[in-house]
Amino acid sequence: MTITRRQLITSIAKAGVPAAVAVTVGSKTLQAEALPTPNAAVALLYDATKCIGCKACVAACAQANDTPPDVRRDGLHQEPYDLNDLTRNVIKLYKPADGSAGSFVKRQCMHCLDPACAAGCPFQALHKDKETGAVVWDSERCIGCRYCTITCPFHVPRFQWVGFNPRVTKCELCQHRLVKGLKPGCTSVCPTGAVIFGPRTVLLGEAKKRIAQNPGRYHQDRVYGDKDNGGTQALYLSHVPFDKLGLPELGPESVPARSLRWQKRVYEYFALPSLLYVGLVQIIRRNFKGYEQELHEEEKQTGLRAQL
Amino acid sequence: MSRTTETHINSNPDRWERDVPVYGVPVMTRPFKVLSILVLLALLFSAYRELAGLGPVSGMNDAFGWGIWKTFNIMVLTALGSGAFAFGIAAYVFRRTKLHALMRVALLTSFLAYACGLMLLGIDAGRPWNFYWILFPWKWNLHSPLAEVAVCMSIYALIPLAVENLPPILERYYYLRPAWRPGIKRTENWLHSWFPWIIGLAYMLPAMHQSSLGALMLLAGQRVHPLWQTPWMPLLYVWAAAFMAFGCVAGSTMLCCLVWKRPLDMDVLDEAANITAWLVLGWSALRVLDIIYRGQLHTAFVVDRFAGVFWFEMVMVLGAATLLRRSIKKRDPRAMWIGYVLASLGGMVYRFSPTTLAFRPDPESLYFPAAIEVFMSLGFIALGVLGFLLAVKKLAILPAPNQAWLDMASYARFNRPDIQLTGYFDAETHLAASTQYD
Repeated sequence: MTITRRQLITSIAKAGVPAAVAVTVGSKTLQAEALPTPNAAVALLYDATKCIGCKACVAACAQANDTPPDVRRDGLHQEPYDLNDLTRNVIKLYKPADGSAGSFVKRQCMHCLDPACAAGCPFQALHKDKETGAVVWDSERCIGCRYCTITCPFHVPRFQWVGFNPRVTKCELCQHRLVKGLKPGCTSVCPTGAVIFGPRTVLLGEAKKRIAQNPGRYHQDRVYGDKDNGGTQALYLSHVPFDKLGLPELGPESVPARSLRWQKRVYEYFALPSLLYVGLVQIIRRNFKGYEQELHEEEKQTGLRAQL
Repeated sequence: MSRTTETHINSNPDRWERDVPVYGVPVMTRPFKVLSILVLLALLFSAYRELAGLGPVSGMNDAFGWGIWKTFNIMVLTALGSGAFAFGIAAYVFRRTKLHALMRVALLTSFLAYACGLMLLGIDAGRPWNFYWILFPWKWNLHSPLAEVAVCMSIYALIPLAVENLPPILERYYYLRPAWRPGIKRTENWLHSWFPWIIGLAYMLPAMHQSSLGALMLLAGQRVHPLWQTPWMPLLYVWAAAFMAFGCVAGSTMLCCLVWKRPLDMDVLDEAANITAWLVLGWSALRVLDIIYRGQLHTAFVVDRFAGVFWFEMVMVLGAATLLRRSIKKRDPRAMWIGYVLASLGGMVYRFSPTTLAFRPDPESLYFPAAIEVFMSLGFIALGVLGFLLAVKKLAILPAPNQAWLDMASYARFNRPDIQLTGYFDAETHLAASTQYD
């Protein structure tokens, strides 16, 4: 029995439709819990009740990362207004107008377990280090699209707006110090131990211990970053609501897991697009043949050359 | 071209039967020169931007990392330039054969919008030299909507869209260079045999990257206002691109017919208007139902900039649908043109908003494009318009009745008698036979 081209295509399509549907429907959804956790996830634990706002960590951060101090505000003091192209770490103050309790807050990259910046980064310039889990930036891969500054729910990555060779600046957990066995710059100078460094599991235990020992001291008796946004590697304890410190309530599901769920399914193994393409071409082939015929008739009638 | 049934020939003397170049008009007109100056300025500013960085030339800042180059020249203008996608699907898949009359305009505007958009995207990227990673598929981040957009758009504009635009160019040289005819005919035959596969790709790729443009802002989560932030954003984006493209192609063709004194084929325009109106209505229904389903309708009834932009957009698209529907009944080209423009504008506002007007970064900050930024944006649009003006005068792009082609043939007889524009195939014998029997 000979197989015509039509039979071949239809039989492929018959097998392909259920296969593509199965792949699309059966593919696992993107879930933060299912993500591979780094082997030796390190973390920062910041306790707002211990911070005295001395900004030693800000200076130490600039020094550790070999960045000139940001003195652009008054030309004299290192006073960054916020995170910026020279500032990976900043101390900010929340001071309510009604005189109720305020707080300092240390802001730097949260090193999410499922980072939105890395999920959006087109060529994996921002990616999670497999060992430590730090979200690091690779200048060789970055095209400077600034999608990370749009996607990060904590508004952390900052772009260098001046110069022909701009960089993306964000806390990389002092990756270059970790390999030498040193702690990140900020944690090595904190006089009150408001920010400490260690394995994520250990620090999470420490934070929960502090909550247990001081009931009622911390907001909602919970650690921000334990579950928030799928879990982060910067953990926060605070006596004021977290959203006042610029840590929004994002829910336990990470932003990429929530938003790219369908994106991933639809493009799984490229099954659905390929199937659609082949089906589309079959319809177009039929219609195109009729159209060509029409063009030819017209050409005969008018003596004017057909136009496609 | 819509050479459908013969009953039309007598009923509509203005029928668009084939594409005819705008002949007997100089290319170097005053608008052409003004636009050229704009393009030159933009190129100079681009050189300055490459040296100085993005800050000195734009209003972009830490809060608004994306300015009008991405939001307007890419998000909005590639939607206006989705004509090849929207008209192609309507004509080749859904057999709206009348729309073949506008196909070449759609293909040309698409190619120009994409090409100019991609150029500005290269300038907008802070570290463009790293774009070479696009050649290594295993380095792509397959989850990233932006990678999908970058890869898909480049492939689309450089391969299927470019190939689709070949026929008018081949046609030009078929007439001008008789020596090249065998080669051109071979190319055309090859093109015809592969055409369904090429245009199939030309519909898949835009569907993918136009929806990924919508998926871009999904990752921004709650930083986009709930009136816009929805899992349906990818679908709404492609859909908006479809009716915006209809408005843009049909509207600009009408404008061209006005400028170069060509008749309007109301059969084709009615068909396009009807499709546009229904696309707009379906899109608005999905948009509003989704907002109601997510329980965010109350945010539209607050006095703030978000609700303002939302209602502005709604009034424009619904106004467009009303005008288009009414213009079909009343055969009113003026109302139809305004309807097309409103449909495009409404879609533009929608696609522009999530990254700018409805984007709520924390800390709240302001973005307003700097003068140089606006000039560069306009300059790259001007480049597209220049390309259009040049192409319609050199190539057969704009539709007209067959008579216009015959007029061109008699015009050409005096200055280029070597060009044979009529009398192909057995038409001569056919004509001779008919005169014999007369």
